[in-house]
Amino acid sequence: MILTPKIWVRLVALVLVTALLEVVFFSKVEWFGSTPDGAVLVVMSLGLLGGSVSGAVGGFSIGLLIDCLLMQTLGAFGASLMTVGYVSGRYRENVGRPQRGAIPILGGGMTLLGFVAFAAIQIGTGVDADVSTLIVRDALVTSIFGAALAVPVFGAVRLVLRPAVVEDRPEAAKSRRPVPAKAPPGAGAELS
Amino acid sequence: MYRKQVRRRRAVLLLLVVASLTLLSLYFREGYDGPMHRTQRGVAAVLGPISEGADRALKPARDFVNWFDETFEARGENEQLKEDLAEARDQLAQSQTGTAQAAELAKLQETVGGVIPDGYEGVTARVVSRSPTVWYSSVTIDKGTSAGLRVDDPVVGPDGLAGRVSATTQGTAKVTLITDPNSSVTGRVLPSASTGVIESTVGDPGKLQLNFVQRGEDIRENQMVVTAGFASESLDSLFPPGIPIGAVTDSSLEEQQAYQRVDVRPYADLRDMEFVQALVQSGGAK
Repeated sequence: MILTPKIWVRLVALVLVTALLEVVFFSKVEWFGSTPDGAVLVVMSLGLLGGSVSGAVGGFSIGLLIDCLLMQTLGAFGASLMTVGYVSGRYRENVGRPQRGAIPILGGGMTLLGFVAFAAIQIGTGVDADVSTLIVRDALVTSIFGAALAVPVFGAVRLVLRPAVVEDRPEAAKSRRPVPAKAPPGAGAELS
Repeated sequence: MYRKQVRRRRAVLLLLVVASLTLLSLYFREGYDGPMHRTQRGVAAVLGPISEGADRALKPARDFVNWFDETFEARGENEQLKEDLAEARDQLAQSQTGTAQAAELAKLQETVGGVIPDGYEGVTARVVSRSPTVWYSSVTIDKGTSAGLRVDDPVVGPDGLAGRVSATTQGTAKVTLITDPNSSVTGRVLPSASTGVIESTVGDPGKLQLNFVQRGEDIRENQMVVTAGFASESLDSLFPPGIPIGAVTDSSLEEQQAYQRVDVRPYADLRDMEFVQALVQSGGAK
């Protein structure tokens, strides 16, 4: 990812909008008893577009802001979203640019990873109540929503960060364009 | 060059991990007035009006998305409601047999409608945001200290107890719901005087547990659970007595246990509240 002052502004706006949408929109939407997790998908997209450092820093920032907005344990969301961002970034660095078909699978997987990371933090810091087995169902349903929403969220984040994404820059696009094969000598004569 | 990149990546990751662990441990260690809590409330106060505006602006979109789920659920609920109605008729007949019981129920009906307990004033607030994870059960409301709210004020929903104020800024307040793992409320089963502590179950917002109820207490399905509101010389309950909490769904008594455990379904739909009322003591004095 190429970071210019304008891109920084876009990134800050993306972090702010994502945190706000997570607490006022996604958390209040309910499908089949579970809520979709938009923040995880944005963080995953940041990792897939910018690599592990961008993903981890973006995830930590969005998580920290969510913790502040909800006045909840500071660092819990930050740590879980940082994990998601880092793993997504490592995927990109090791496997390469994700194919369109892989994005829903990554969306579902990263949502589940975020859920497990958050659960681990909660259990690590102590839970003063019984844990229902329904939590497994919630994790699975949320992951299915993650898979379903991954492509549009990834597309939206990519659109916002397009000037910064190396593959989407004009020179990179030009180098990806297939070079037309040279016509064999005498081919023109045959056609005429 | 590649090694440099790897070193940089590891350094950033290490820094973030250390920052997360430091934040977590310091946050738990310090009190409500600690610097991190204050900073957090400061950020929440600054972003509070933006959240409120975003919440209002996004309401039509949210309602549209929720409409699909509600329509799907309504079909199943129709059948369930018919069964519930038949059951309720039977219970009404039973309740009318005991005059004392009937009188108590009539008295409670006033409270179910959202009537404020004596000595309290209701401050109506809009739910701006909600915790997106099942591990926390809290909402943020658009009224804060400027409207007279204080930490530990009880909060009621349209159908019963919702929770208590656990943090405040000037214009917003965090309400920890009764389904939060950190919440506990002393409850009383009516019409008997059995008391216990209402606690939550993580991952199941439709279920509460009334723990520490004495063995031998006769507790049946659909009995009402209200706040007990105890008071002693050194300690008073945060919640005034008589606020409906929920209905008994099951009561189990396991061998070798000194107490019985009662399952309770909360009256208030805690996952879908638009407005709540914070109960502030009349005159502002606590």
